[in-house]
Amino acid sequence: MAELLASGGSMEMVRAAFESGADAVYVGAKGWSRRRAQYEMDDPRIVEAAKYARSVGKILRVAFNTLPASAEVPLFLAKTDALYAEGVRDFILTDPGLMMALKNRHPDTILHASVGCTIINVQDALFYKEAGASQIVAECRMGKETMRKIKEEAGVGLEVLVHATTCYTLLGRCTMSSYTRHEHRVDAAGKDHFPGSPNRGGLCYRVCLTDWDQVGPDGEIEAAGVTLPNPAFFLADDIPDLIDIGVDTIKIQGREYSVALVGEMVRFYRELIDACVRDRASFRIGPWKERMARIVAERDAERREKTAGLIEESVAEDTLSLDPRLKPRVSP
Amino acid sequence: MQEFELVLSVATPGELAGTDLSPYDAACLGSPYCRRVEGNYAEALDLLPEAVSRLHAAGKKAYVASPATPREADLPHVGRLVDAAAAAGADAMEIHNMGVLRILREKGRPLPAHMGAYANVYTHLAAGVMREAGAVRVRPNAEVSLPEMGTIAREGRVEVELLVHGKIPLGVTDRCFLLTEPEETDPKCPKACREEHWLASRQWVLKSVGKGVLSGRDMCMLEHLPRLARDGFRVFRVEGLYESAAYRSEIGAVYREALSRAAAGGEYRVEGRWTDAVLRHSAKGLCNGYYFGTAGRKYVGTVLQDRNPEV
Repeated sequence: MAELLASGGSMEMVRAAFESGADAVYVGAKGWSRRRAQYEMDDPRIVEAAKYARSVGKILRVAFNTLPASAEVPLFLAKTDALYAEGVRDFILTDPGLMMALKNRHPDTILHASVGCTIINVQDALFYKEAGASQIVAECRMGKETMRKIKEEAGVGLEVLVHATTCYTLLGRCTMSSYTRHEHRVDAAGKDHFPGSPNRGGLCYRVCLTDWDQVGPDGEIEAAGVTLPNPAFFLADDIPDLIDIGVDTIKIQGREYSVALVGEMVRFYRELIDACVRDRASFRIGPWKERMARIVAERDAERREKTAGLIEESVAEDTLSLDPRLKPRVSP
Repeated sequence: MQEFELVLSVATPGELAGTDLSPYDAACLGSPYCRRVEGNYAEALDLLPEAVSRLHAAGKKAYVASPATPREADLPHVGRLVDAAAAAGADAMEIHNMGVLRILREKGRPLPAHMGAYANVYTHLAAGVMREAGAVRVRPNAEVSLPEMGTIAREGRVEVELLVHGKIPLGVTDRCFLLTEPEETDPKCPKACREEHWLASRQWVLKSVGKGVLSGRDMCMLEHLPRLARDGFRVFRVEGLYESAAYRSEIGAVYREALSRAAAGGEYRVEGRWTDAVLRHSAKGLCNGYYFGTAGRKYVGTVLQDRNPEV
């Protein structure tokens, strides 16, 4: 049966997700995952969460799925060594070089290739399998035929996001946020958090979600107030098909949402998946729609508020210190 | 004098027509953004032999771009593209997608791989994995700073290519933003991306090319070329996609002269005629921030720093 994977933006959220029916929870190592620091965990908290997961017979995965600087590779290895020593075995990564390095160092680790890898075809899946991943996350708009083919031909686990945002461009291949604002904040351990780069530090200012005017060559407005599509989705209709395809993990993203909302989302999917598996032949999605609509409305309200705040941040003055190693001279 | 290579990207015979290629050492043929671009060398495989021969006859190298976002249904075409590029005698294939790199490897590496801007090379370890799969050159992601690029080259044991002038690739997708109907039926396709479209909001301007988002400002490293030469970089790209023939010709000429002077190692100063050409072709201003660790849209320098018409 497919594993239900939920987000753990805090210890409270980790507990709530497991109690609501998640089989596994992912957390982000501070400075190393695709979310800003407030939704990540420091090492002692990760160890605590991993112990809690083991105590209830479930899995904790630790995301190191940003794309660091080469100089930070020793930090990555030291940090994962320490977590490994505490019993953590499950990691989510993006950089194929880091995957190989970690797998060579600790062959019994279980590596998942993150959504940041932008895996869109079977050959992509095979590439990351060869780099050490035992499971890959499907790009958000991947069709079911490709999923089926990956299951049949790649010999690698398949993870599908049922609650996430799609991004205007392909997720993992966008630097619009850091084009507008990008800084360096180096923590005490020497890790740069790269504020403004979702690929490198996790904080995305979501500039795609502001209103844009499409303008022609002479400055004429061709279309005013256009929105670059970046919808948040919440799939339910597809769950039976995903189960039929043999998807290994059904993932609910959402470390930045409230604990209550994440708990509600996990319970919804847990009950839906269980009902579908229990009696696939007579399963109908109709009765689930009303409950789903309530969750979506709640989710959208939380998302709108966060997006507005992020866009405002993106136009604020750069206040963080710049990496002194680069010594830039910036135009006024 | 140190040797260097100046590479131009050019998508179609139409874009090549009228472009003075004399400043360039190599051309990368084809658009990685969309298979429906009319005359795309990466799609119209029968055009490759003549284009490659023409470049070779002029003493230039010929590289062939591959699609940046090939879905499963595109892979048979990618296989044919690899075969056609190799048969035409191309010198390398530009690759953005790891699946395409794997296809090239599985075919016995009939030509070397150059990892493109969307391949997300951020570390020397990733570059090393790609090298093992057949890559000899990488263009790190736009967000990677100059010191990091030096590390990637040194410790990844690959050649590093730098964008020195032109729009920075900021995002790629497989859905065309300029169309309202499916691309097969929308009458605006394939004309829409040949026209000029910008996206403007607050203080930001971006260029939309349908399936790609580019910087509004032009990356400009003109005043920093001596540093690039001192740091050991040897391969430089001028982004010619979605630009005019005059842009490709005149920007190329500026950089040929400037790079030659920088590579010679003597006194270097930015000439007025260079800045005139650069500013004439940069409608939304200049930038180079990523290389120095700041936001991409910023310009770091002392010569052209006040030439950003849009703040």
